[in-house]
Formats: sequence, structure tokens, C-alpha cells
Amino acid sequence: MRPRPRLRQVNPHLGAYYGIVASAVISLLICLAMFEQFGWSRGVLAEALILVPLGLYLTIALGARTLNVEDFFASGRRVPPVYNGAVLAAVLIGGAGFFGYTGTLFFLGFDGLAIGLAWTTGLLLAGLLFVPYLRKAGAYTLPAFLGQRFRSRSVRVVASLLQLPPAALLLAAEIKIAALMAALFLTISYQLAIAAVAIIITFVAIVGGMRSLTWSATAQFIVGAIGLAIPLIIVSVLMTNLPTPQLTYGEMFAPLTRSETIAGISPSAPQQLTAALPAEQLKPSTKPFLQPFGAVSRLDFVTLFLCLTLGTAALPSLLVRSGVTGSVADQRRSVAWAALFVALFAASAPAIAAFVRLFMFQDIAQAPASALPSWLNDLNLYRLILVQDANGDGTIQASELLVARDGVALALPMAARLPFVCTVLVAAGGMAIALAAAASHLFTIAGSVADDVVIRLADPQGEVLPRLMTAWVVIAATALGAAVFLAFANIDLMHAGIMALSFAAATFFPVLLLAIWWRRCTWLGALLALGLGFGVAILEIAFGARVGSSYGHLTTVIAALIGVTLGLIGGLIGSLLGPQPSAAEANYFEELRDPGGEALYDRARQRSTAAAQ
Amino acid sequence: MSEQRGRDRHRRRTALLAAFSVLVAVGAVAAVVATTDMLDAYGFLRFPLGFYLLAQGLLIGIVAMCFWSARAQERIDRAFSESEEF
Repeated sequence: MRPRPRLRQVNPHLGAYYGIVASAVISLLICLAMFEQFGWSRGVLAEALILVPLGLYLTIALGARTLNVEDFFASGRRVPPVYNGAVLAAVLIGGAGFFGYTGTLFFLGFDGLAIGLAWTTGLLLAGLLFVPYLRKAGAYTLPAFLGQRFRSRSVRVVASLLQLPPAALLLAAEIKIAALMAALFLTISYQLAIAAVAIIITFVAIVGGMRSLTWSATAQFIVGAIGLAIPLIIVSVLMTNLPTPQLTYGEMFAPLTRSETIAGISPSAPQQLTAALPAEQLKPSTKPFLQPFGAVSRLDFVTLFLCLTLGTAALPSLLVRSGVTGSVADQRRSVAWAALFVALFAASAPAIAAFVRLFMFQDIAQAPASALPSWLNDLNLYRLILVQDANGDGTIQASELLVARDGVALALPMAARLPFVCTVLVAAGGMAIALAAAASHLFTIAGSVADDVVIRLADPQGEVLPRLMTAWVVIAATALGAAVFLAFANIDLMHAGIMALSFAAATFFPVLLLAIWWRRCTWLGALLALGLGFGVAILEIAFGARVGSSYGHLTTVIAALIGVTLGLIGGLIGSLLGPQPSAAEANYFEELRDPGGEALYDRARQRSTAAAQ
Repeated sequence: MSEQRGRDRHRRRTALLAAFSVLVAVGAVAAVVATTDMLDAYGFLRFPLGFYLLAQGLLIGIVAMCFWSARAQERIDRAFSESEEF
């Protein structure tokens, strides 16, 4: 008979605690909305609505501090599925999705829907193909799982190094958007905001590792959901008399299409994918919202969907959370909850984009250039929009209305003339999600580099380097590196996100599929799968532009799909031509596929502890 | 021998469930993308149908499939676990 898993106690008051968090944030919002009517300055309102929740996250992180290794790397394996699902959703969407996806939908309309659809489908794939087995393995990092599966230190070290590009790209993007929001509303410089964000996420990751990340990110998810839902529901009630924007924004399509026509937007022809995706700079919207495949061709829509789906399923920052729940079944359920939360966001984002487009084209494009609406001043103040009557005809056309992609979500409460606190609420919500995602990406990189590379290479027996202290040092160094990088370099949120998912798909999808679903896969096949997928992605970034000019169509997304295919072929050939799997590998595979019993890593630790006594 | 047969049966049913779920989800997306222009001629809740399916309909279906497949897999695992116990 198999050993039964340990019973892990879950705090029965979690629901009450997070109910209090949600109530506190809503109460704060209501108080500040009243104080705004009493004449409080915008600076004070913004500081209160951003800094008070920030204090709350740090307090929760401090309360969840730990020096226990299992708590630090796996949150004690007792996170209930709903909470893990919330954190998974926050990590996947992130600030880049919160602001970048809504902005992308504003510009691309129909054609941008591939992204939200891919996130949700990717979670379905992860839940079916990888996550339950990673929970059974119980390894603290994705490279550690691969190392244990193939009994190979080389595979572990290589996988750890190859997960740096996707996680680092996402880390930089999340720090950037959190810092941008802080700089916009707290009147501090962008550089100082980057340093502050880096310090905050370092603190959260160091004091309690995965445990403090989980519980502070749950609070951040709640603030993010409130920040998105309240302004959107208010606007929906104002526009459609119903508090269900996802179901009712279709009513706005007739006036929206009319306004777009008056503003001079006509059906467009698709461009190459890289050119079609909007950049962060101010630019005009040129495509009708509802037109299918007017910016992105049908083929590019499908390839973008497939690439992001595979990238989401194999994203190390999500898969690293595969060991935090109490059982394999709980882990599977948590992915389903994550899919639900992501789908709710993905269904709400087009409503935001449609409402903002309607406000803009109705109010601006139809008014004379000399009498533009007053809410425009707010958007101008925050450099989210630029309106200029370039041809001097006295009216504003769509081509003369330049919009910042990442400011579309912020523009919704301003354009709807809601109180200023609603605008800050959106910023605080997006910032909360960005902080949750940034801390998670930081922990993914640093936890793996510390545990899979530094300790494995410098102290394989674990006798000299203390495990947690090594992780702390690497976390601090990684955050410092990301902050220094951002202080000198710029990064586009959406492009970084798509590139990161492309890397994740090309590098990790083939090796995970083979490792979990094919008994015959060996370390040689795994190394080939990792190397070929990553190699194709890197080659496209280095030489893609040159090839693209010759053949017209090679993008990061297509390169990732080629990488997945070559990685699978390489893994098959390497495994079949190389040595047979050892008995230990075969046994590990058999136990991995058995859904019951204790996590394999925990069982091995218990055995080694018993042997040492 | 019967233990091995039970294990093989569990693996086969697990793989079938995964393949079925993935194929249905990806196939549904591909079918809607391929027929969007035709679907947009019809309306649903004042949305063009093709737009609605990509913006919400498929999301609802995929989330339902996530929960359904999790429960179906639990049933498969329970049946396997019970056969192992005895």
C-alpha cells in the first residue's frame, strides 16, 4: 500500500482575514471619495490610496515570515486552491496585462482577443499536462524537477539558466509598470520609484519566500480586482443602467461604430504581427474596434494564440507554484480557479477598451477643436493623450488623437468624469497586481539560481552554504540587477510579455511534455529539447529582423512555434539514440504518474532525515 | 499483473481525458476563428456572435472545461486508488 500524504492544517480564518482586507480597502475608498468632496488635495488622496494598501501588503508579508525551508520554498504545501488560483491569476496577468492588454484591445479591438483567450487556454493545458505531476514531484523549482526526473545535475543547471530570459523579461516589465504608476501619482521620480519597488518586492521575497509571496499576493489580487471592478461597474451603470459590463457593453457598439466613422476610422488591412501590436508611445487608433483581422491577419491571430497558450502552460513563474497546495487534486483545482479569474479579467478588458473608445471618439472627435471636453486636461496632465488639430480644419480626427497604450485603463474613470479617487483606485489596483507578479518572478529567478545553480555547483552536499541565506543574497542581487537595468534601459510591457511567453514555450514546453508523458525520455533528450527550443528563440531575436526582411514573416511568435517543434523532435531523437533511462529514472517516472501518496521530494527528504538519525 | 493492468488503464484514461480536453478547446478556438465572418452576421446579447464567442463564449467554455476535467480526473484517480487499495 502506498504511503498516505501528510494532513496539513489550513488556517480556518483565511476567508475572514481577506474579507477584512477587502472591506478595509472599500471603506478607505469611500472615505477618500468623501474627503475629495471636502476639498482634499489630489496628492494626499493618491498617497493615501496607494500607500495604505502598500503598508497592508508589507504587514501581511512580515506576518508570514518564516525560516522553515518547506514554508520558504513551497508555502508549507497548505495553500487552499482558491487562494493559489488567485495568486496564479495575478502572476499571469500582472501589471503588464492589466494596463498593456486593455491598451492593446483599445488599438486592436477584435484582433487583440487572442491574448486573453491564450492565457485561459494555457492554464487549461498546464492543469491537464504539467501541474498535477509537478505537485506529485514536489520539487521546489522547475529545474529541480527536471534534475530529479533525469537524475542529472547538468539538466538542472541548464534549465535554471534558460529560465532566466522569460522570468527576467517579466520581472523588468512588472517593476517598470509599478514604478510608472508610483511616479505618476506619488510625485516621486521614476528612478526613485524603481528603487522603491525593487526594495518592496525584495523585502516580500526575503522575509517569507513563497509563504509571504502567497499571502501578500492574495491581498494584492483583491485590491487589483476591486481597482478594476468598481470603476468599470460604475461606468457600466452610467452607460447601460446595468452593473454587468461584460454582458452589456455590446449595446455601445452601434454608437461606437458611428463615432469611429465620423472620426475617420475606416476598415484597415492586416500588417505583419510585430508592426501591428501597438507600442507604448502615443499613437493614433486606426482600426475599427469590431473589424475582424484588420490589424493582425487570421494566420497571425492563430499563431499568436498558440504561442501564448504554450508559453502560459510552460511559464516557470506559474509552474513554480505547483507545489504549494495540499494535494495533487487541490493543485488541479487551483489551476481551474486561476482560469476562472483570468477569464473574468479577459472578459472585462474589452469592455474597458470599448467604453474608453466610445468616450474619446464621441466627445473629442465630434467636438470643435476649440471646445474640447474638460476631462481631457486630466489625461493631458498625466501624458496619457495628445490632441492636436494638425491640419487646422477645426475638428479632431482619429489620426490627430494620440493615445498612450498603457494609460487606457486609467483613462476610463477620467473620461467618464468619475471622482479622482476612482482613477487612483485603478492605478493602485494595477500596481498591486504588478507587485504580486514582480515578487513572484523575482522569487522564481532567485530561488532557482540559489538552489539549482549556486548550491549545486558550489556546495553539492549542502554542508557549507545555508540554503535560505543563499536564496536571500541571490534575491537581493537579482532585484538590484533588475533595478539597475531599468534605470538605464527601457522595455515595452506587452512586447516583453509576448517575448517572455515565446521563450517559455520554445524552451520548456517540449521538455516538460516529454519528461512527464514519455517514460523513455532521457537526460540527453531533455538537454536537446531545452537547447533547441531556446536556440531557435535566441536566433530569431538576434537575426530575425534580417530574415524577416527577406522572407517577410518570421516573428518571435512563429520562431517559438518552430522552437517547440524542433525541441520535441530533438527530445525524441536524443532519447532514442542515447542511453536507455536508468532504473532510478524509470522508478521516478512510475511514481510521478501515480496520483496518490506523499510528494516524491518530501518522501526523499523524510528518508534522508531518518537515515541521518 | 492486475496491478500493472490497473495502472495502464489509469494512464490510458488520463491521457484520453487530457487529449480530449486540449483538442476540444483548441479546436473550438480554431473553428470560431475560421468562421468569424460568417458568425458575425448573427447577434447575441447585442454582440456580433463571432466577437462574443472569442471575447467571452470560449472563455466560459474553457473555464467550464477546466473544472470538469479536474473533477473527471479526480474520479479516474479515485477509481485507480480504490483498485490499488484492494
